[in-house]
Amino acid sequence: MDDRNMITVEIDGKPVTVEQDTTILEAARRIGVFIPALCSSDLVDPYAACRLCVVEVDDGRRKKLVTSCNYPLRRPVSVETSSEKVMRNRKTILEMMLARWPNVKLISDLAAHAGVSEPRFIHPGADLNPNACVLCGLCMRICEQGIWENIINFTGRGADRSVRMPYDSRQPHCIGCGACAEICPTGAITMADDPNQPYDAEMVRRAGMRVTEEMIKYDDEQCDMRGVGTAHLVEIMDAYDLLPVMNYRFGAHEDTPKISSDVFRQNYFSKGKPDGCWLGCTMACAKAIEGFRLKTGPYRGEKVLVDGPEYETLGGSSNMGVFDPDFVVEYNFYCDTYGLDTISFSTMTAFIMECYEAGVLDNVKTGGLEIPFGAGDAALELLHLIGRGEGFGLIAGRGIRYMKKYFAENFGADPAFLQDIGMEAKGMEYSEYVTKESLAQQGGYGIALKGAQHDEAWLIFMDMVNKQIPTFEDKAEALHYFPMWRTWFGLCGLCKLPWNDVEPPDNAETDEPAKVPGHVQGYCEFFEGVTGKPQTMDSLVRMSEKVYNFQRVFNLRMGFGRREHDVIPYRSAGPVTVEEYESRQERYDAQLKEDAGIDPKGMSSVEKVAALRKHREKQYEHLLDAVYKRRGWTSDGVPTVEKLLDLGIDFPDVLELVRKHGG
Amino acid sequence: MISVNGESLDWSPGKTVRDVIREMNYRFPLLIVRIDGRLVPRGSYDSTAVPDGAEVDIIHLMSGG
Repeated sequence: MDDRNMITVEIDGKPVTVEQDTTILEAARRIGVFIPALCSSDLVDPYAACRLCVVEVDDGRRKKLVTSCNYPLRRPVSVETSSEKVMRNRKTILEMMLARWPNVKLISDLAAHAGVSEPRFIHPGADLNPNACVLCGLCMRICEQGIWENIINFTGRGADRSVRMPYDSRQPHCIGCGACAEICPTGAITMADDPNQPYDAEMVRRAGMRVTEEMIKYDDEQCDMRGVGTAHLVEIMDAYDLLPVMNYRFGAHEDTPKISSDVFRQNYFSKGKPDGCWLGCTMACAKAIEGFRLKTGPYRGEKVLVDGPEYETLGGSSNMGVFDPDFVVEYNFYCDTYGLDTISFSTMTAFIMECYEAGVLDNVKTGGLEIPFGAGDAALELLHLIGRGEGFGLIAGRGIRYMKKYFAENFGADPAFLQDIGMEAKGMEYSEYVTKESLAQQGGYGIALKGAQHDEAWLIFMDMVNKQIPTFEDKAEALHYFPMWRTWFGLCGLCKLPWNDVEPPDNAETDEPAKVPGHVQGYCEFFEGVTGKPQTMDSLVRMSEKVYNFQRVFNLRMGFGRREHDVIPYRSAGPVTVEEYESRQERYDAQLKEDAGIDPKGMSSVEKVAALRKHREKQYEHLLDAVYKRRGWTSDGVPTVEKLLDLGIDFPDVLELVRKHGG
Repeated sequence: MISVNGESLDWSPGKTVRDVIREMNYRFPLLIVRIDGRLVPRGSYDSTAVPDGAEVDIIHLMSGG
């Protein structure tokens, strides 16, 4: 903070220096001076309704009473928090409150603190309920300002004023987040206990509320998940050369701003509020586009509501070389409508586009489709062909692994080239990140049990940018911990995003901020609150490890669980073509020299591509060795009998299977 | 000269943490900055000068799907 923006004031004779525009109430709290306040919270804007926080301010010219919760400090002043005038005012308010709510402990405590034991007044409508609503308005304000909903509000006037849902009816828009109950200072609003009968509902709610508080306070300045969802990653990935462009050949493009999150925020996302996947989620990062008029397909000309796009759908578009936001929304809608995954569709279309440009395909083989990179119209036509199960759509719709075989057998294509550029592992298409500069992430995709998905481990920043995991052992440790940890979300049916798409304020001060220890503790409490069984980070990971290893054995039974199945296409590890190499020549030349010990001087680009490939493929094999060792697997990637015994999953048929494969 | 995540970067008097972040084109919002091991609070990037010869770690956390 610039010193020019600091201001020193005196509160009850104590000097305090604060940022300009800090309220008196906040400044007083920083130096431990108590000012009573009923309607104030750091989760909502000042309201100045209860008037209890009134103080006397002397600016050198005159003294005046002001509400401290919304009085911004802009020049040196002297503040008295309990002058005679202040106390007379405060006592009168508390006497009126006490008359109306005589049994509410919060009111009687505040009154006692101000020296009031009996009210001077008699209120004809006194509410004897010890949990009576005191009309502070915190609940409706957190609903509106914190959760971006408007489920409850004041109704009636004067003595008839109360907090209600509209028409006194249960509101379907209420997401049941519990924020109103949590912030209510008297217990007037409570949550009905979950019919699932958790062991300790309060513990579950508190764990959830901590994330809700962080969303309210920090999301705007952190990931803006409620504003644009994961779309915010488009421009970030582009800045780090990680946004897939033209079948993962490149990691950035000059046209990326055309599909950035700002474009969707300003021109497309029609819901000015968060949209959660399920009730109660306050991260609520889903987005919607209303009234989008379709240009193609069976619903051409109709206005529809589109759910999305998320980052992967946008990254899929750049991967096809299409930087047209209308295209993104249209392909998003039709993928959803046909029941297709936008990742699989875009990655396999990017593969088809590269095959088309490389001469593997032509418009005869595609049944008339001219489909180079950037051909959004052709991509949509392909999407409709897949949806209808017609023509080339019948081939493309079976995915990259099938196409690689089909193109080699029927079109005479080079199988090695198709393997290099066909971005799939275990038959599943890659999601939308460029992994060439992160060996750990190559493993994250290649070893993932379900196929090439990043949701087991997203390690690119740790590895490539932070350089936190330089050795094979470091990478192996990350490829042990994070997949096990993230598997736990799957076990419990939880979304991973609240774990690390909002960060606790003290996360930076923890030993392992990448793990977000504060949130891991919250998940321990969540689990304990549901089951009654106390947990630690290690015990949660242990749960996952059992399941993860069991899944690996399942893969083995289905023919996918060995080292040969953890191979990755070379495009995932490095530049396949001369064009790719030369686009980042300085980087790759330096790596050849520094990492591989090969002087690139005098080498042709073809030779450099080959030399770098040899080096990187070797690195990947070393990585597999290290990860398998860390996980307690054989060098062929099979869980050992000892590991299964240790995890307590040594069922006879499981043991028989792994023994057959050398486990 | 300073080091940022192991990479060399030119130093000039008055260069702040914010300047370094901008120069490195670090667009990601969830950062943790340490200068010679000392944590720099997130609100102080504009006012914290980076001394010549400093080792700056700018740790990117993870986010997204």
